[in-house]
Amino acid sequence: MTQFKPNREVMVVGVGLHPFGRFRGKDLATLAREAVLEALKDCGVRWRDIPVAYFGHVYYQGMSVGETALASLGLTGIPIVNVENACSSGSTAFWQAYWGITSGVFDLALAFGAEKVPGGPVTVTAADSPERFIGGDHMMAGYALRMRRYMEETGAPPSALAQVSVKARQNAALNPYAHRRETFTVEDVLSSRPIADPLTLYQCCPTSEGSAATVLCARDALGSYGLDESRAIRVIAASLTSGNYNGRGSDHSAFSPYRTEPAALAAYEMSGVGPEDVDLVQVHDAATIGELQQIESLQLTPKGEAWRATVEGRTALTGDIPVNTDGGLLAMGHPFGATGIRMVHETVTQLRGEAGARQVNNPRVGVAQCSGAGDVTTVQIFAR
Amino acid sequence: MPTSSRKSLAPVDPRRLRLNDPDGSSGTLLGMRCLNCEVCVFGEAIFCQACSSDNLESVDLSSCGILYSYTIVRVPPDGWPGPVPYVLGEVELPEGPHVLAEVIDIDHADLQVGLEVRLALEPVQAGESGPTLMVYKWAPSAVPPALPQEG
Repeated sequence: MTQFKPNREVMVVGVGLHPFGRFRGKDLATLAREAVLEALKDCGVRWRDIPVAYFGHVYYQGMSVGETALASLGLTGIPIVNVENACSSGSTAFWQAYWGITSGVFDLALAFGAEKVPGGPVTVTAADSPERFIGGDHMMAGYALRMRRYMEETGAPPSALAQVSVKARQNAALNPYAHRRETFTVEDVLSSRPIADPLTLYQCCPTSEGSAATVLCARDALGSYGLDESRAIRVIAASLTSGNYNGRGSDHSAFSPYRTEPAALAAYEMSGVGPEDVDLVQVHDAATIGELQQIESLQLTPKGEAWRATVEGRTALTGDIPVNTDGGLLAMGHPFGATGIRMVHETVTQLRGEAGARQVNNPRVGVAQCSGAGDVTTVQIFAR
Repeated sequence: MPTSSRKSLAPVDPRRLRLNDPDGSSGTLLGMRCLNCEVCVFGEAIFCQACSSDNLESVDLSSCGILYSYTIVRVPPDGWPGPVPYVLGEVELPEGPHVLAEVIDIDHADLQVGLEVRLALEPVQAGESGPTLMVYKWAPSAVPPALPQEG
């Protein structure tokens, strides 16, 4: 396993978000820039003081979009890195920004992500891949395979999985930035259009457009930039992993329900906190089953029991482990490159106590977890 | 085995499937076994996924497996050439690998985790003007199997 030797303490000082949804009139660079401007405004850092930027996005919208998005703020000559790491692209950009600072190379860093996506089922392979004719390349079918197996092994009823979506919509209804804000019942979820049994439409996240941005700073450099430490949130762990051999032979998402475990263990070790210390969590709920298995991978419940915690209301805003407090991928939406940064935005907003109607009670430690094709997984832990 | 005057068919992926006769009526799933740690994978490998050894041998994989999980896909991905809905099965082979493929010749009501299935091959038109490829699929073992020939 990687040897983690973080050096300087890193803090998130600014966060910004563009609403998630569909924005036909805005190109990727424009979407991205709007969140960046929000994040800079949030902390008062001047663009000309940013020494490095990392930009997460997935779907091809031309080359060097990160540079295009930032060029309009002034050509300052800084390194700008475009990051593609599937659904973890944004969180990988954040990971790079974190290590850029803690290693001592930079005082400040900008990590941002944005996405413009086509509609319809998400595929992973190239259009001429044999996988297209075999039928296995279908993201939600992969989740459906995991869900069927989980239900078989744990006895979780369909209503327990539907409750994940009901809870997501309840949280999103309190979030003006969310893509899907209408609430619904368990019956509505189960009777919505079947996508890949047992997954129904309302148990699958929408593909969304949107952007998110965050500014990070070394704690020892806050004074140099006149930054307000009272609103800064500490990053106490940032881990990134790819596929570990799991005995089944492939890295297809269908095969790896608990692929988050190595990243989670590394993050807990790095931070010195454990699952018992976590006050709220954002996880990769691209489908309802994803949320349950990520909760279990993070050891917030024993394996096979996250569905009970959900039914009992423990993962709701008022529960003891609030999950996906802004609506998550299921209701906030899922613009791939922005999702990982959006999770940081929500965690920081909650830890600052600035989440308004969806504020959880006095949180001190928050976790953000993101997963992507290729078994790319990130786990970050934040504390105030 | 009926003879055919058609030209030889190609497997959907020659790294995963070998056709055992020119008309594509039987075939064998291909894998690699690590001579260092014994781990077996489906398809091509140059290095072992588990231990990174390059000491691998080609192996023929079993034509029968167990349905580990399944889903009925009602909204297909772009490029799907077959009818909708279709059943997608995750099948565990005795050698260890899991193989995703369509499950055919089964009523949806008969689907269950743990079902024994066998390899079945079907021709698929790859794109509007593409070649006809033989694709590996799964079918219930209870249906009389078209077993791969020795060969």
